[in-house]
Amino acid sequence: MKRDAILSTLLGWLCLAAWEAAVRVGHASSLVLPAPSVVAQSLWQGLSSGYLWPHILHTLTEVVLGLLLGASMGFAGGVLLGESARLRGIFMPYVVISQVVPKLALAPLFIVWFGFGTLPTVVITALICFFPLLENTATCMQQVDANKLELFRMLRASAWQTLWRLKLPASLPSIMAGLRVAVVLAWVGAVVGEFIGASRGLGALIIAAQGSMDTPLMFAVLTIITVLGLTFYKACEWLERRLLGSFSDRSTRTSS
Amino acid sequence: MPFLQLNALHFAYPDREEVVRDVCLQLAPGEIHCLIGRSGCGKTTALKLAAGLLLPQQGQVQLKGLPVQQPTSDMGFVFQSPTLLHWLSVLDNVLLPISLHGPVTHEHRDYGEQLLTQMGLTALRDSKPQQLSGGQQSRVAIARALITRPAVLFMDEPFAALDAITRDELQSDFLALCQSHGTAVLFVTHDMTEAVYLADRVSLMHKGRMQSSLQIDLPRPRHRAMRYTPAFNALCEQLRHAMDTAL
Repeated sequence: MKRDAILSTLLGWLCLAAWEAAVRVGHASSLVLPAPSVVAQSLWQGLSSGYLWPHILHTLTEVVLGLLLGASMGFAGGVLLGESARLRGIFMPYVVISQVVPKLALAPLFIVWFGFGTLPTVVITALICFFPLLENTATCMQQVDANKLELFRMLRASAWQTLWRLKLPASLPSIMAGLRVAVVLAWVGAVVGEFIGASRGLGALIIAAQGSMDTPLMFAVLTIITVLGLTFYKACEWLERRLLGSFSDRSTRTSS
Repeated sequence: MPFLQLNALHFAYPDREEVVRDVCLQLAPGEIHCLIGRSGCGKTTALKLAAGLLLPQQGQVQLKGLPVQQPTSDMGFVFQSPTLLHWLSVLDNVLLPISLHGPVTHEHRDYGEQLLTQMGLTALRDSKPQQLSGGQQSRVAIARALITRPAVLFMDEPFAALDAITRDELQSDFLALCQSHGTAVLFVTHDMTEAVYLADRVSLMHKGRMQSSLQIDLPRPRHRAMRYTPAFNALCEQLRHAMDTAL
């Protein structure tokens, strides 16, 4: 395992070195393909001068807001659809239809509705995060082991207890898989949303860099987005471990 | 008055023919009663009817003279598979029936640990179920069913998936535990030696009907050596004969 990690890191450095060498030997223009060292320089300059920070903060806010809004509503909707066969029957066709609609294609419409700025981007991000959670939650709540449901009936558990003590913990891996997808998509939503109608944020910055032919800056912004996306993904994994831990702690507590 | 009584039960799953037909059964306090039959004979359905997990279309189940409409706190149920919650520790799984109905006190914990000790699982109380062998998981499931000190225990082929040696050991430990608590048991199985070894009385089911019933007069406490006695083998043979002649 440890050796694999070392090899993996080595591969990354090797690719960067090859890239750097290729650019230097081939005398590629930094307009087309800037060398990693040039990108790193641009990144450092942007961060140290404080030029990038407001944009990072702006996009981060949109992603967090969109994610909170979309994921929580998707989760709540998923629980409702998972619990009630009737709701499922009524709403599921529309859920499927709205899932098929390409959300990013709605961005121009949202600009008409909500104007330029943060709101349309947050709405797009929320919409994109909504479906993976809705679908995963609704699906896995129906796949809970029938024997365990019978056990809870035998133990005279209420519907609420069956939800909190059985269905949700049992569904947690699947729900968190949905959240991991949502977290990755949230960055897509926010950045593309900014492409279309924003003057601030990392997406807007990529468009601006393209306009001024500052390719190193584009790469620098891409690097930031990648690092932030990765951080969110890791945070998800951490959250999953924490939640599983809290479910197992619940009944351990002893009152005297 | 019998303690648990099944009066002329009829049951059919929706859109299927009747799986339980006119089933009658009586259980005295502390009695161990085995229900034996081939797969699909309706014995598991009869057990679920007795536990209130299913409601009969005709007839009635009575526990201590009161009609059973749903599972009560007097009952414990051990399913065919251990059905442990994999996110809880072994001890928390055992305490689940308690923690669903109120705070877990120190007495409950002590009792849970005592049951685990009696089941030979003391060292595993903080493990997760997936770290346990199949036999150990079955033991945890039995401890979980006993934690509420039920007056009657329903067992649905709980040892069917275990290897022969583990099954023998579990049967002995299970008997000891039930005798010490005075728990009445309705035990579904398709294994004739298991039925004869555990039961005070064995009832034979065939195609949804009660066929015949056999009194097991082996002395208690029962122990392993008994399995090889002529009396034991004679009872097994009798049971086998009854199963073969079932219409």
